[in-house]
Amino acid sequence: MSEAVLSVRNLRTYFMYKDAEVHAVDGVDLDVRAGEIVCLVGESGCGKSMTSLSIMRLVPQPAGRIVSGKILLDGVDLLRLSEDEMTDVRGNQISMIFQEPMTALNPVLTVGDQITEVLLRHRRMRKREAWQRAVEMLEFVGVARAAQIVHEYPHQLSGGMRQRVMIAMAMVCEPKLLIADEPTTALDVTIQAQVLDLMRKMRDDFGTALILITHDLGVVAEMADRVVVMYAGQVVESTDADTLFEEPSHPYTRGLLRSIPSLSDDTETLYSIPGTVPDAAAFPEGCRFADRCPLAQPECLATAPVLREVRPGHWVRCHFADKGSVSV
Amino acid sequence: MTTAQALLEVQDLKKYFPVQKGVLRRTVGYVKAVDGVSFRLQPGETLGIVGESGCGKSTLARTIMRVLEPTAGKILLDGQDISQLSGKALRRIRRKFQMVFQDPYASLNPRMSVQDIIAEPLVVNGLVAARDIPAVVADLLEKVGLKADDRQRYPHEFSGGQRQRIGIARAIAVQPRLIVADEAVSALDVSIQAQILNLMQGLKQELGLSYVFISHNLAVVRYISDQVGVMYLGHLVELTTKQALYQQPLHPYSEALLSAALEPSRKHKRERILLRGDVPNPAHPPTGCPFHTRCPKVMDVCRQSRPTLREAAPGHWVACHLH
Amino acid sequence: MAGYVVRRLFGMIPMLFAITVFVFFMMHMAPGNAIEAMINPRIKDIAALKHQLEVQNGLNLPLPVQYWRWLVNVLHGNFGWSFGQHEPVIELLGPAMYNTLILAVLAEAFILLLGIPIGIWQARRPYSKLDYTVSTVSFVLFSVPFFVFAVFLIYFFAIRWPVFPAQNATGTGPLAGTLLDHVWHALLPAISIALTAHTVYSRYTRGAMLDVARQDYVRTARAKGIREPVIYRKHVFRNARIPLVTQLGFDLGGLLGGAVITEGLFSYQGMGYVTITAVSQRDYPVIMATTLIFAVCVLLGNLVADILNAVVDPRIRYQ
Repeated sequence: MSEAVLSVRNLRTYFMYKDAEVHAVDGVDLDVRAGEIVCLVGESGCGKSMTSLSIMRLVPQPAGRIVSGKILLDGVDLLRLSEDEMTDVRGNQISMIFQEPMTALNPVLTVGDQITEVLLRHRRMRKREAWQRAVEMLEFVGVARAAQIVHEYPHQLSGGMRQRVMIAMAMVCEPKLLIADEPTTALDVTIQAQVLDLMRKMRDDFGTALILITHDLGVVAEMADRVVVMYAGQVVESTDADTLFEEPSHPYTRGLLRSIPSLSDDTETLYSIPGTVPDAAAFPEGCRFADRCPLAQPECLATAPVLREVRPGHWVRCHFADKGSVSV
Repeated sequence: MTTAQALLEVQDLKKYFPVQKGVLRRTVGYVKAVDGVSFRLQPGETLGIVGESGCGKSTLARTIMRVLEPTAGKILLDGQDISQLSGKALRRIRRKFQMVFQDPYASLNPRMSVQDIIAEPLVVNGLVAARDIPAVVADLLEKVGLKADDRQRYPHEFSGGQRQRIGIARAIAVQPRLIVADEAVSALDVSIQAQILNLMQGLKQELGLSYVFISHNLAVVRYISDQVGVMYLGHLVELTTKQALYQQPLHPYSEALLSAALEPSRKHKRERILLRGDVPNPAHPPTGCPFHTRCPKVMDVCRQSRPTLREAAPGHWVACHLH
Repeated sequence: MAGYVVRRLFGMIPMLFAITVFVFFMMHMAPGNAIEAMINPRIKDIAALKHQLEVQNGLNLPLPVQYWRWLVNVLHGNFGWSFGQHEPVIELLGPAMYNTLILAVLAEAFILLLGIPIGIWQARRPYSKLDYTVSTVSFVLFSVPFFVFAVFLIYFFAIRWPVFPAQNATGTGPLAGTLLDHVWHALLPAISIALTAHTVYSRYTRGAMLDVARQDYVRTARAKGIREPVIYRKHVFRNARIPLVTQLGFDLGGLLGGAVITEGLFSYQGMGYVTITAVSQRDYPVIMATTLIFAVCVLLGNLVADILNAVVDPRIRYQ
């Protein structure tokens, strides 16, 4: 097993919102190895996006702050770097792409300007050389007429093309880690298939590790080597992708998988997880999923479960994950 | 298709938006958002409409609802053509068909209490006496899985899923026969989406509703629909039962769409048909078959003539030269 | 773009026609006229003299005829003869326009050079004590009637320490009439205008910068490792300037019409000064000419605003 490129340890990111302290990320551990695709999955408000912004140290200021933890990139704790040192890491060693390619690109700068900017910032490169590299990179991500497109503005491109430009921009310095936050959520299915295909190609050709943040378990099944399921600011299950779909062990993961209508079979009645996510400003004492869990016992309401390794490489935050007879 | 009278019959419905240019706003062309769509919906059935953004599915919904003026074609509700109705006659017929929107945040007036929101269509139509309103609203709230006490609260006090329940309660308040749902669960999380889908299924049984259910999510459409139509660039390219469509799609676009959709399972790894390029600009649609620019099975005839929707197998309609 | 500009210019014609018709008839409907304002009320047989002068100047004709005559003359480049100053309107307004142009350009330069940097500076430290302090000062400056600054500047910099001239648009001496001389005389009035007007820009700039700073693409720039000063200079400001440029176009149109009160206080012979004098003397030909010029300036300002908008925003293209 190769060494982790990224190791996140006990990360806590809190927000002040209307005089309440919101525990958006509440003790998250995460490991990503070189060339691995890790999917961070969960529903809105589970903390998956804040985890990624914390890794980039781009948590919205001044409301949010990283309270504690370690973010080790090849052994270097990013939380100990100065802001100046951190800007050398962003776009260079870790890159990020976002959900809305429409709003994530600057409307008044040409595509080429936005790509070369990264090279001129992180690489000793002349302008001409950087522009040439930008064209090559656009060709590499499958943009037709790349030599013309570099001189165009984002509004002149389609949604799928814009996301390709975002990927080209993120990959141009060949980072060790790419974080993609819901990169295909705003795209149509046929375009989503193209973009996911491209991201896999990036991993294969550059050996870049990929953290893919998504709410879509279909995307997870398609892309993931390993999966980390988050609920209410915490990791509730973490394992390899095959195990997750064959033997999901946390009741939340199971419920989630059963809530999705099937594409290939007729579903008579769909399971639905009752209730809603607890308020992040006032999490319950015990298990955060207990009041929606069909298996909840008095113990669950009293004590919070820890993330335990129930089988080698399979971590679950549930008192009953390995007690057999767990069926939802 | 049966000969029994359809609840909703749409005949060659068109909705064109003019493209205007210059200082004088001259009309230089049309975006044919809906271009000759026909289908029948039997009472108690659900018709799902799937397609990618810009295919015209939302415009179709709003044109059926008479929120947008149809450019041409007929909309028959219980055999009555409503495409030309206006004013009082239109308002009266609106009781029969209601709409549920994608964004429960935007479609509920934040300054109105839940009771006022739900009772509004009842009051406007004079269906319920003022003193009966609290009881009627309480009953509706319980039907959609909320509490009767929620009457006096305001939309911002509810979560997204609860707001969608309020939207549904408002829609069923006038006891409609048809509900047009436009991406009604698309903005919701998976676990909440399942709750709302089940609610809609239950109400369909309980109240004998029919749905036109518009969504980009193929799995959701399969779950809720009896018949499914696939739209591409303003045209209905395939229309059949859900079993037929999902097991044996005939149109190359339906095939590609289904193969691109992702399933939350590691077992069903299917061969994907990767479509090249993007959907063409609806203001300048291709000649011939609208799909020919991206079709992996394109033939010469596809570039010249547009295929019409034909019954390729019993109850399986497709607009493709291959069939 | 060229076609668009030509069409816009043609589009101005009906508006100018409407504006001049309106002003012409309103002006003549007001009690009194130029002749009464001109002649000494103590001379004998006023009525006869008045009638004679009215006939001489065509003032006895029906208004539509008078307007038609004025219009035909203007189209021939003849703006008429000033009743009050007894010289061709063109010769009166020529120097006034030049003076006002200098004042307007100078004032606008001060406004932008003060307002935009202050706005950017505030946007870099929003909701801080310094930001609030500067905002408060801006509100005070904006609220003070602007002639107060004129009086203040004249007292300190022209009377107490006579560094700058406080009167006239040109001076005497070897440099008289040169551009430098003009600029020298326009300095104090320009500063007095800018002291108030720059606050509009600092508020706008601050607001626009903060709006843009919240956009997704600014987060993208940070995720690329771009340094903060570059982010603000390049990614934020280039978007924030789009609404500013529109405002600039409108402002230029307004300023070129003349700053009436400021020019009056500084006895600065610009368009505003000439207009005020003409109005008090019922000097119809001058009033009509300044109306026309002012209207043209405002309309051109709008056009310039739209053109500049297309220059800074690639999403806007005119065909």
